Amino acid sequence: MQHPAFEEVSYHHHTDDAEFKKRVRKTTILLSVITVIELGIGLAIYTIHKGENPSELLVLMFKGMVCILSLAKAYYIVSVFMHLGDEIRNMIMTIVVPLLLFIWFIAAFIIDGNSYKNLRNRYDKHFQESTTPKGHHKAAEEKPAEPAKSEKQ
Amino acid sequence: MATTATAHQTKWWSGGKSPFNLEYGKLMMWYFLMSDAFTFGAFLISYGSIRFSQNFWPDPNVVFNAFPGAGHQNLPLAFVSVMTFILIISSVTMVLAVHAGHKGDRAGVIKWLAWTIVGGLAFLGCQAWEWHHLITGEHAVLLDGQIQMVGQTTTVNPWGELAEPAVVTDALKNSSPQILAQIVHDQDHSHTWKELAGMSKDQLLGMINSAELHVRKTGPVAFGGYFYGITGFHGFHVFSGVIINIVMLIMAQKGVFDRRGHYLMIEKTGLYWHFVDLVWVFVFLCFYLI
Amino acid sequence: MSEATHIHPGSVGHEVAHDDHHHGHHEQSFITKYIFSQDHKTIGKQFLITGIIWAIVGGLFSVLFRLQLGFPGQSFPILETFFGHWAKGGTIQPEFYYALVTMHGTVLVFFVLTAGLSGTFANLLIPLQVGARDMASPFMNMLSYWFFFMASIVMISSLFIQTGPASGGWTVYPPLSALGQASDGSKLGMDLWIVAMALFVVSSLLGGLNYIATILNMRTKGMSMTRLPLTIWALFFTAVLGVLSFPVLLSGLILLLFDRNLGTSFYLSDIVVAGEVLPNEGGSAILFQHLFWFLGHPEVYIILLPAMGMVSEILSVNSRKPIFGYMAMLGSLFAIAILAFLVWAHHMFVTGLNPFLGSVFVLLTLLIAVPSAIKVFNWLTTLWRGNIRLFPSTLFAIGFVSLFISGGLTGIFLGNSTIDIHLHDTMFVVAHFHIVMGVASMFGMFAGVYHWFPKMFGRYLNATLGYVHFWVTMIGSYLIFWPMHYEGLAGMPRRYLDKSIWKSFNQFGDLDKMITVVSIIVFAVQLMFVFNFFYSIFKGRKVTSTNPWGANTLEWTTPINPGHGNWEGEIPEVHRWAYDYGKDGREFIPQTEPVGANESKH
Repeated sequence: MQHPAFEEVSYHHHTDDAEFKKRVRKTTILLSVITVIELGIGLAIYTIHKGENPSELLVLMFKGMVCILSLAKAYYIVSVFMHLGDEIRNMIMTIVVPLLLFIWFIAAFIIDGNSYKNLRNRYDKHFQESTTPKGHHKAAEEKPAEPAKSEKQ
Repeated sequence: MATTATAHQTKWWSGGKSPFNLEYGKLMMWYFLMSDAFTFGAFLISYGSIRFSQNFWPDPNVVFNAFPGAGHQNLPLAFVSVMTFILIISSVTMVLAVHAGHKGDRAGVIKWLAWTIVGGLAFLGCQAWEWHHLITGEHAVLLDGQIQMVGQTTTVNPWGELAEPAVVTDALKNSSPQILAQIVHDQDHSHTWKELAGMSKDQLLGMINSAELHVRKTGPVAFGGYFYGITGFHGFHVFSGVIINIVMLIMAQKGVFDRRGHYLMIEKTGLYWHFVDLVWVFVFLCFYLI
Repeated sequence: MSEATHIHPGSVGHEVAHDDHHHGHHEQSFITKYIFSQDHKTIGKQFLITGIIWAIVGGLFSVLFRLQLGFPGQSFPILETFFGHWAKGGTIQPEFYYALVTMHGTVLVFFVLTAGLSGTFANLLIPLQVGARDMASPFMNMLSYWFFFMASIVMISSLFIQTGPASGGWTVYPPLSALGQASDGSKLGMDLWIVAMALFVVSSLLGGLNYIATILNMRTKGMSMTRLPLTIWALFFTAVLGVLSFPVLLSGLILLLFDRNLGTSFYLSDIVVAGEVLPNEGGSAILFQHLFWFLGHPEVYIILLPAMGMVSEILSVNSRKPIFGYMAMLGSLFAIAILAFLVWAHHMFVTGLNPFLGSVFVLLTLLIAVPSAIKVFNWLTTLWRGNIRLFPSTLFAIGFVSLFISGGLTGIFLGNSTIDIHLHDTMFVVAHFHIVMGVASMFGMFAGVYHWFPKMFGRYLNATLGYVHFWVTMIGSYLIFWPMHYEGLAGMPRRYLDKSIWKSFNQFGDLDKMITVVSIIVFAVQLMFVFNFFYSIFKGRKVTSTNPWGANTLEWTTPINPGHGNWEGEIPEVHRWAYDYGKDGREFIPQTEPVGANESKH
């Protein structure tokens, strides 16, 4: 714990004070703007849901957009605030490459969650009847074995 | 002799130096954060898995629509956006603290760390209010054939689908007078509690405006568990971050880092703090936006 | 930016350890030297000895439940003397049996083969073989051991409570593990299990971060990554696996703890226990299995990789030949580490997992055969026409290869979801994983202990006892586990207390008796090894040269009993890879020797 700093480690990040401040300011504004856009989309989804005939596709598109925007936010926080962008390329790779594991991690869990729902809807009629939303989704009632794709909301 | 490094071409991997030009503590902090990312990732992915296994999931805009001091107004996402901005701003102040540390500017470090701590405490305060509001806030819910007033807890979720009017009418008849009085009071503040308590069940039923009454069924139970579990775990990180920041502030105040000749500890603390902000981006995404 | 000019050999970021070495000796009290030590070698020994104690406990558990499996319902009065109502009338009670099975798994997988194996050898070997005075953070390293120690205390304490330890299997699947009313073993014992494992995760995280930072940052001058001994590479990937997968287990266990104590429904839905309908709704028991196996599968490699690394090293040293295919070994380690994260659901083919998803997991699982085969071929070709010295360490290393092949082949059976429908939850599975990761890793560990014992204690283990240890264990392991394949193929389920009501399994009665008898013998021989271990620490033959095995790696350039800081004077510089054996007519060329002008290329 009480080691001195490595002597051989050199620090060459953002020596220019003014430039650094400018970069921080820019990033802050960017993060705020993205957040505002995200909130706008969140409210848009809300309005769509309140409407008479909500378009599931539109909602899904908006949700996809929010996900991408969040990834952008994460990129700016990690790259600028955490200075990962200033590190040596190999260092960046040791952080970014293991994160790729999340792709299969997320995909498999989500796919299996969805599959579990389908199984329950097929074999547990009570579950299906008591939890499938009836309001806007009359279609789901008509063909009970095949749950509609849009029960998430 | 194997490593005759020149100024232009450093053999990073040949041993005798850090291949990433990083001191070991910072390296460990980075990999710890990776590890922690998997902890949070596992929580959020479990949440996703459960959510995909349900036919119905509450709309966050309906759940999170309150604002301190705004009473019963419907303000979806307003409060959480305040929380998000608090965290972004505290991240900015942390960047400035780290930057001041680079320059060896003790006063700057202290100033910006103090602001970061304020931001962290403000965030925790907001979270406490939100939790309190969700747990104690009472909502008319159709439960066991009658109307009950329940909050969002780990065992009940009041944010199910809106119940059909016919079912609600039946359920009202089965409900206790206290519940009915509460519903009347929520709809129309002109009656005092004392008046309402003296009324008969039929009187109360007559006073309820069924058209305005939004009774929901119970929703997926896991919603509450995940919400409290994950925001709680994040809040715990914020809390520990605040504690670490306070320790750093005291150490900076006492000139410990000046004596060491570097402010590396502040950098590592900064990494941790930004990570907490980073996690919030995804908590915000998963619970409030989609 | 000329960092290189700042570097002096011996000051690779480790001033403190350096200082310790020069004037720390007389100041060290017993407590700082042997108990709260920050010396990586002492911490390694602490891990090893704690691991040995745990191995005796876990091994004894297996002997006890083997008694029940070999002699169902028979009375052994001595058991009642020791275990009271758990073995009423001398017969092992069902609750006791399940507690034994659960604790055997937990203890062996986590406490012996994770902490005892990678904890020991990562601590001992990483600084010594990369050329560092100590770990990157000796303090965190010490914490790592003491968190493990605390986890051990909590786990042990769960053995002594009224309702007994966790007994839902080492995988603690809910709903059984989540509902206290479901069984005695799901009461307090389960909470203690979770707490102990949480402490264990912290320990493994502290250790793993240290190992990674040390291997990356603290290599001595000239020790490029491709000059590292394969032990270090294996321990490096082990640490990466641990750092990225243990937190997922922690998340899963936190959710389980909530389900147990806060009434949440993460894993629970539609449950009736003893006539009582539970209110829990909407959870998924499969979710826990996903979370558990997201750690559980990498865990298999956390256990196996250190053994692989040590076996590679020991085979090369003792066949006096360079390791065959160093880069292929390295590549296959990397491939195994990646694949370890992608295949977890092959443990769940019959749980209600989506069959289509299962087929993807089959594909990914079978891919592991490729790097595994590469490794096997490279070990065999390293031995091929070598000048083999059959020390106990060599024998155990060769035994490892044998077991890895036998157990690996049955893995191909089980990796196919269609065959798994027949084989799942049978003795076939028990046979497979015990051979390929249980016994094989134990063999890797024994090989490591026999090989590095002189470095740890400055004395040799008794070789004669070592040969007896090897042959009995080797033959015994096959006698125990090989017949289980047949039982499993015949459909005999695992975990069952008593299978005698199935007439068709009666044919295996004598086989099961034989297995039980052999496991008692093998257990006794392990106790003999433990005796050898402790006896040799104090009375073993003394090591007289710094490099008793004629090995190339850096740990053999230190004094016979190195102090804290490892090298007197400066840390040596490295000029070559670790495997220059039998080169240019020389038996071995240490890594510290500069490359000669006329030297041939390897």
